[in-house]
Amino acid sequence: MSTTRRQFIKQSGATIFGASTLGAVDPETLLAQEMPKLEGRDRPTLVAIYLRGGADSLNTIVPYADPLYYRHRPNIAVRRDGNPREQVIPLNKQFGLHPNMASLMPLFKQGLVAPIINVGSPHPTRSHFDAQDFMERAAPGVRQITEGWLNRFLTMTRSNDDSNFRALSLQATLPRSLRGQHPVLAFPSLQIEHTIDTFEELYGCEEDQRLQKRGAIVESSAEAMRRKVTDAGASTIKLIHELRQIIAQTRSNANYPTSGFGQQMSDLAKLIKARRGLEVAALDYGGWDLHAFQGGSLGTMALKLGDISSTLTAFAEDLGPDLNRVLVMVMSEFGRTTLENGSEGTDHGHGGFMLLLGGQVNGSKIYGKWTGLELESLNDGRDMPVHTDFRQVFAEALSDLYGFDPFAQQFFPGYNHRAQPLGILHPHA
Amino acid sequence: MPSVVVVLGVAVLAPFLNTVTEAARTGGEAVAVAVTDPNAEPLTPREQAVHVLNRLAFGAMPDQVTALAEAGWEAWVREQLAPQSIDDREVMARIEVLAPSLAMSMGEIFDVYQPDYAGDYPTRDEERREAKLRQKAQIELRKAVIARAVFSRCQFQEVIVEFWRNHFSVDHNKEEVAYLANHYEENVIRKHAFGRFSDMLMASAKHPAMLLYLDNAVSQKPLSDAEEEEVARYVGRRRLPESILKKLRRQSGLNENYARELMELHTLGVLHENRKGGYSQRDVEELARVLTGWTAGFWNDEEEYGFIFRDDWHDRLPKVVLGRRMSGRRGIAEGEAVIKRLGTDRRTAQFISYKLCRYLVNDDPPDDLVKRVAGVFRTSRGHLPTVYEAIIFSPAFMDRANYLAKFKTPFEFTISALRATGATIKLYAHLYASLTDMGQPVYAQEDPTGYFDQAEAWLDPGVLLHRWHFALQLAEGRVDGVRLDPQFIDALNELPPEQMKQRMVANLLPAGIDPRTDAVLDKAMETIGVYRLQMLGLLIGTPAFQQQ
Repeated sequence: MSTTRRQFIKQSGATIFGASTLGAVDPETLLAQEMPKLEGRDRPTLVAIYLRGGADSLNTIVPYADPLYYRHRPNIAVRRDGNPREQVIPLNKQFGLHPNMASLMPLFKQGLVAPIINVGSPHPTRSHFDAQDFMERAAPGVRQITEGWLNRFLTMTRSNDDSNFRALSLQATLPRSLRGQHPVLAFPSLQIEHTIDTFEELYGCEEDQRLQKRGAIVESSAEAMRRKVTDAGASTIKLIHELRQIIAQTRSNANYPTSGFGQQMSDLAKLIKARRGLEVAALDYGGWDLHAFQGGSLGTMALKLGDISSTLTAFAEDLGPDLNRVLVMVMSEFGRTTLENGSEGTDHGHGGFMLLLGGQVNGSKIYGKWTGLELESLNDGRDMPVHTDFRQVFAEALSDLYGFDPFAQQFFPGYNHRAQPLGILHPHA
Repeated sequence: MPSVVVVLGVAVLAPFLNTVTEAARTGGEAVAVAVTDPNAEPLTPREQAVHVLNRLAFGAMPDQVTALAEAGWEAWVREQLAPQSIDDREVMARIEVLAPSLAMSMGEIFDVYQPDYAGDYPTRDEERREAKLRQKAQIELRKAVIARAVFSRCQFQEVIVEFWRNHFSVDHNKEEVAYLANHYEENVIRKHAFGRFSDMLMASAKHPAMLLYLDNAVSQKPLSDAEEEEVARYVGRRRLPESILKKLRRQSGLNENYARELMELHTLGVLHENRKGGYSQRDVEELARVLTGWTAGFWNDEEEYGFIFRDDWHDRLPKVVLGRRMSGRRGIAEGEAVIKRLGTDRRTAQFISYKLCRYLVNDDPPDDLVKRVAGVFRTSRGHLPTVYEAIIFSPAFMDRANYLAKFKTPFEFTISALRATGATIKLYAHLYASLTDMGQPVYAQEDPTGYFDQAEAWLDPGVLLHRWHFALQLAEGRVDGVRLDPQFIDALNELPPEQMKQRMVANLLPAGIDPRTDAVLDKAMETIGVYRLQMLGLLIGTPAFQQQ
C-alpha cells in the first residue's frame, strides 16, 4: 500500500460539511466483501458511458405530450409532426425518444432498455469540473475523496483470481471514475503499432530473466532503476500483444457505425465475448455542452444521439446471449436548462437523464419522478429537478449485477440512504 | 482493424525492491553475494557532470556534459545558486512576448482577461469572449513554464521553482485561479525560491490563488455575532459548558481545507498527523478558525485586487492551536503569528529538508543527510540557498548510489528531450497536450499535493507508452511547432553510421550506453537506412533516458 498516494493518507479527514466524519473511504482498510465469485468468463461487465458536458434530457427523452415543452423551446423542440423520420417516437403516452434513436425502440419493447428521468446529484454545482468530479467519485461535495467510484468498487472486491483485464478504459486517459489504486488498462486512440514495434526489442526482458536465474546480481542503483523501467515497458508490450490477439481472434457479429464511438464499442464487445474476466469498462463521449444551436429533431445533438443509438444497438446485437451479463449505463454530469436560451441552445442545468441497456434491465418503462414543466416545479426556476439521486442507480447496479451491497460498507461517503428501490434491474440469476 | 494499445494506469512494482536480497534468494543454493559494492566507486568527472546536469538542470544540451566535465562542475553550481548574476535576457524577452500576463498585477489581469459585462448578465458573445480570455491566461502560464524550463540559462532556478510549484501547488482550472496563478507563479514561487522559506509560506498564505484554491476565501466564523456574545461570557473560565463547546465546534461557514493542507502539506507534514507531538483534527479546526477572514477581493475604487482581511468574517473567540492559546482578539496578527510559528517549527525543517533531499538526491534519501540538512535549515532560519548548498555539496549528493537512481517525471522527461536535441519551439499546444497525456499538465494537478516526484508515482507502463510515442514524434519532426536543432541533425546525417550512433549517444545518453541498447541500435542501423532520425527517437524512449 503506497503511502505516497494521497487517498491512503486521508483517514481522519473531517469534511467541510459538519461534524460527522464522512471521512475518506480508504478501500484497503475495509474488508473485501464476500461476493459470489463467478469464474472469470462469467463475470458480469458494467460499461459506464459518460457524456461529457451536460447532456440535455428533454430532447432525448422527450415530454412530447406537454404543450409547455413546445412553449419553452420554440426553436429546438423535437417535433411531433411533419416528416415521419424527424418525429418523436412515443415510448408511452407522455414521453418519446428522439427520432434518431429509433433503433433502440425494439430493444426498449423487449425490456432491454430503460431510461431514467430527473436523475442527478443533490449538489447544486453547475460547474462541469465539480459536477463530473462529484459524480465520478460518487461523493458530491466531498473533495477529499479522490478515487473514482468504479475504482473503489474494484479495490473492495479484489481477489486473487482476478484477471489482468478486470477493468478497462477505452481511451488514452483514465476517466476519473476509474482512477485509483486498482490497476486499469487504457486504450488510447493513437495508432501505435509502429511505436510498439520500434521499442519492442529495447524493452524485451528475456535477457534479464536469464541473468536473474543464474544467481546473485549485485546491481548499482543506476542498473536497478534501468531494470525497473525496462520491466515496466515489457509489461506494456506483453499486455498489448495479448489484447491485440483477443481482438484479432474474435469476430464482430454486427455492423457498427464508423464513428470513433462505434469502433470503441466494437472492440469492447470483442473483449467481453472473449470472456477474459472484464468486469468494468468506461468511456467518455464528449461535446454535449451545447450552449448554441443545439438543434432539435435535426442538428448537432441529433447526430450524436444517432451515433449512440446505432452503436448501442449494434453492441446489443453483437453480444447476443452475452448481453445477459452486461449492463451499459449512460450518464452525464447534469441536464440542461428547460427553456432554450437566446442562441437556440441550452445552458447548464441540474436534473438529467440516464439510460440503461442490458439483459438484466427491467425495461419497457421509464423510471424517475416527473413533476411537469411549470416554472414553479423547476429547479431555481430554470432546470429540471433532481428527484432520483444518481447514487441510487449506481447502488442498484452494483447490487444486482455483482451482488455487492454498497451501503453495507460506506461505499458512498455520506450517503447511506436505502431509498425505495427503483427496481431498474432484476438480480443476477 | 484499429490498433489497440494497452496501458496500465497504476504502478505494479512492488516486487522490485531489495535487488540484492532478491537475487541472493533466487540463486537457489547459498550463493556468495559479490563482495564489492557496485555503488562504492566514486563518480568520474564525466559522471559527475552528467549527474549535475541531470539533477540541477533539466538535462544537458548538446555537448554540455563535456564542457562541464572539463571546466569543473563546482563553479557552474555556484553560479547557478546566484541566478540574479546570470544573463538570462533572451529568455526574459521571450516570456514577455509569450506571457504578458505574468508581469501584471492581479487587478490588471482581471481588467484585461476578464472584462466587465455591458449589463448585469453576460450576453452569449460576452460569455464566449470570457471563456476564450480565461483560456488565454492559462495558456500563457503553461507556455512560460515550459519555455523557461527548456531555454533558461538559470537551470537550477527552474529546477527548484518546479519543486516549489508542486509543494505549494494550486490548480489553475479552478474558477478564478485561472487568472491568479499567473501572478502567483511570479510573486510567490519565483520571487522567494532563493529567499526564505517563511517568506514564501506567508506569501502563499496571503495569495488569492491559494486562498481560492483551498477555499479559505469563503471561510467564515462559525458563530453569529449574537452567539459570539453569548459564548464570550464563558471565555476565560477554566471549563466551558458542553453546550458552549458544541457551539464553538459548529462548522457551518467554516472551511477547513486550507488549514489542514497548511499543516499537512506545506509545513509540518502528514507524518505528524494524530501522533504524539503532531497535529490533530482539533488543531485543524482551530487553525481554520484562526484563518477566518483571510480572503481576497477588489480593494478599492482603483479596482486593485488582492488579499483582504475581513474582520466581520473573523472568529474573535479564543483558540488553541498546537498547544498554544490565543485570545482571539488580535485579528490578522493571530494568523500571521501561527504561520510564522509553522514556518520555523522543527518538524517543518525536517519535512522540507526531506522533500528537497528526495527531489534532488534520491527517492529514499539517507536519514543522516536529511537530518543534517534540517539542522542547516534551522540554523539558517530557512534561508533556502544555504539549504540547497548543504544538499548539493554534501558527500551523499555525489554518491554513486544516487547516480541515475531517479526516474524522470513526465515534465522532466519532456524538457530534457527538448534540451538534448537542441529543439526550438514556436508552438506549445502539442507539447502541452503530450504532457497532459503523460499525466502532468502544468498547474493542473487537482490534488493540493502537487505532482509527486518519486518513481513510484510515475513508473507505469502507460507513462512509458506515451513517452515512446512522444519520442518518435519529436525525432521525426511531428510535434507541431517544435524543430530539432538543424545543425545537430545535419551533422548527424553527414556522419558514417557508426560515428553517427556515437554522436547521438554522446548527446542523448552522456552517461554511456548499456549493451542491450547498443545491440538494438546496431541492429536498427542496419534496417533504418534513411530513417536515421528514428534512432534518435529510440534513444529518447530508451530506459536509460528515463533515468536521471
